[in-house]
Amino acid sequence: MTPNRDFYTGLVATAFFAIVLFVLIPVYVRVPSFIPGFAPPPDMWPRIIAWVGLVMGVLALALAVPKMRRSTGEKVETVGAYLRANRIFTYRFVWMIVGFAVFVYLMPKIGFLTATMALLAFLFIMTGDFSKRAWMIGLTILFPIFLYVIFTEITHTPFPHGKWFSLARLLHLI
Amino acid sequence: MWNELLGAFAAVATLPNFIAMAAGIWGGVIIGAIPGMTGTMAVTLALPFTFYLPPVTSLLLLVALYKGSTYGGSISAILIKTPGTASAACTVLDGYPLAREGKGGKALNMALVSSCIGDFISNISLIFLAAPLAMFALRVGPPEYFMLMAFSLTIVASISGRSLLLGIVSACLGLLLATVGEDMYGSFRFALSEDMKSGLGVVPVLIGLFALPEMIKLAVFRPEENTQAMKLGDNRLTMSEFRGSLKSIIRGSLIGVVLGAIPGIGPSTAAFFSYSEARRTSKNGDRFGEGELEGVAASESANNGCCGATMIPLLALGVPGDVITGVMLGAFMIHGLTPGPLLFQNNIGEVYSLFIGMLFSSLFLFVAGKLTASGFAKISRIPQQVLLPCIVILCVFGIYSVASSPFDVAVLLVMGIVGFVMMVLNIPAAPFLIAFILGPMFEDNMRRSLAISRGDLGVFFQSWISWGFFALTILFVALTIRREWQKWRSTSRAAN
Repeated sequence: MTPNRDFYTGLVATAFFAIVLFVLIPVYVRVPSFIPGFAPPPDMWPRIIAWVGLVMGVLALALAVPKMRRSTGEKVETVGAYLRANRIFTYRFVWMIVGFAVFVYLMPKIGFLTATMALLAFLFIMTGDFSKRAWMIGLTILFPIFLYVIFTEITHTPFPHGKWFSLARLLHLI
Repeated sequence: MWNELLGAFAAVATLPNFIAMAAGIWGGVIIGAIPGMTGTMAVTLALPFTFYLPPVTSLLLLVALYKGSTYGGSISAILIKTPGTASAACTVLDGYPLAREGKGGKALNMALVSSCIGDFISNISLIFLAAPLAMFALRVGPPEYFMLMAFSLTIVASISGRSLLLGIVSACLGLLLATVGEDMYGSFRFALSEDMKSGLGVVPVLIGLFALPEMIKLAVFRPEENTQAMKLGDNRLTMSEFRGSLKSIIRGSLIGVVLGAIPGIGPSTAAFFSYSEARRTSKNGDRFGEGELEGVAASESANNGCCGATMIPLLALGVPGDVITGVMLGAFMIHGLTPGPLLFQNNIGEVYSLFIGMLFSSLFLFVAGKLTASGFAKISRIPQQVLLPCIVILCVFGIYSVASSPFDVAVLLVMGIVGFVMMVLNIPAAPFLIAFILGPMFEDNMRRSLAISRGDLGVFFQSWISWGFFALTILFVALTIRREWQKWRSTSRAAN
């Protein structure tokens, strides 16, 4: 753990709980005009948690600053410089998010089975190691079909067929 | 009690239960033996399947997975110097040197025997301690429960991570996420979309947080694997070797029971504590770290000694002591059982069936370990780049099958990303998970207490039990701050 990471952890926590406290709770936690008895309002508990989280985030931030200054010779690395230095990791992480988002978007369009095959292929590619290429190709096709059959036959799960295309329907016909 | 135990014996001795326990033990050992796969992952991956099983069968499956994975961690620790689970980290110290001397099979046998003994002693302690503790807990009302949960979360937050602050941040995130959806009086909170009105499911959150980050970590950092597995070699554990380690096994088991029963401490600490005690008292103490069977026995008996004991606070008080029991709390709830003192009144049959099943599973563990040790040894060589993507797909299928909801799949993937970010920022995941599961009960007890007292905060300090938990919380926080302060001072001195 680098001192910079301590600092960014504190920063992320502080920003997150501040957004929850000052933006999300006022907008997304509706307090009814009448509450029966002496029951506390619905926003009380989230507010307590968000305040505690905010205080802890600020404390983490405050404690990380001197440590970071000391270890980096009084120079504090900026977020931009930090991300630039770890550019390749950042790109890969963004790719993972995009991959998951595309999977969720495509699932109702191309069907659950095809989407999971595509996701599995994407994940194999993202590992960056293709020494077991034959295994990877075989598993990409067969493993989702195996799970599809197991879950359909044993738990009777109605997996969605695609609006555009359905591999499951095609397999069923075969 | 004895009549109930006999009745439970008959209820457990059915083919589906035996199949569930055997599958759980084997599955757990396999998952535990694979580096990077944890016992938590084993239990969370099985969670969607338990929806289709009767309550006792599904709980026995999860418990068997827990025990199997705890032992399984020792296989890769001994043969490839990579602990399959965190609790097996201590086993590496002597297990791997033994494997290098061509005594890998002997070390695995010692790990198995001590794991089974530790597990058995732990189960016995669970049977005799959980019920009296539950009887005591019957006197506990909402304010005392609120204080107990605050105490448990504080311990988990301070022990699980590197710093108390980050532990509390993690717990706050979990508590906040638990408030999403409809509250007890019908108000919607953080319902950003229609799907979020019914809250976030426990299963997608758990699985996303614990099974997916490993895959994202592999994709982002792409660590190079260089694991050369040792051969099993000499396989025979002699009676004199066993007798020489028996004292350490018994002591390790008891250490596991005591530390396992305290929320937040868990098997890793127990294993290291037992190891250091064995090293201090053994006549072969100077050989520890160079390939001493007693070292393997001490650490393995302690980590498996925790398995049953961590269930004591879960069953008696409804408070999970670690992440795995947190997942199990979720499993209890899925089946309409609420752990806590009332469980011993309303579902005593299920409780005793679980006890008996746990005793059986110790036996299953021994048989599974003896029969298939060489097969398990091969499992530790499965490459992660093939395994982890398949696990993600298994999770996606499993989650969709629970409620046929694409929203749950989205929650799973988002929680995977959140889990990875937390891993990168060094925010511990255990307080998050336990807070997420305890969150509704925590809030419920707070609101009930305030409603009873008409808004008077003094209700939290009206009984000696509340005061006791409050004092323990303060004491624990003070000790943690003192420890962190000392660490900070020594780092500052070293820097200057």
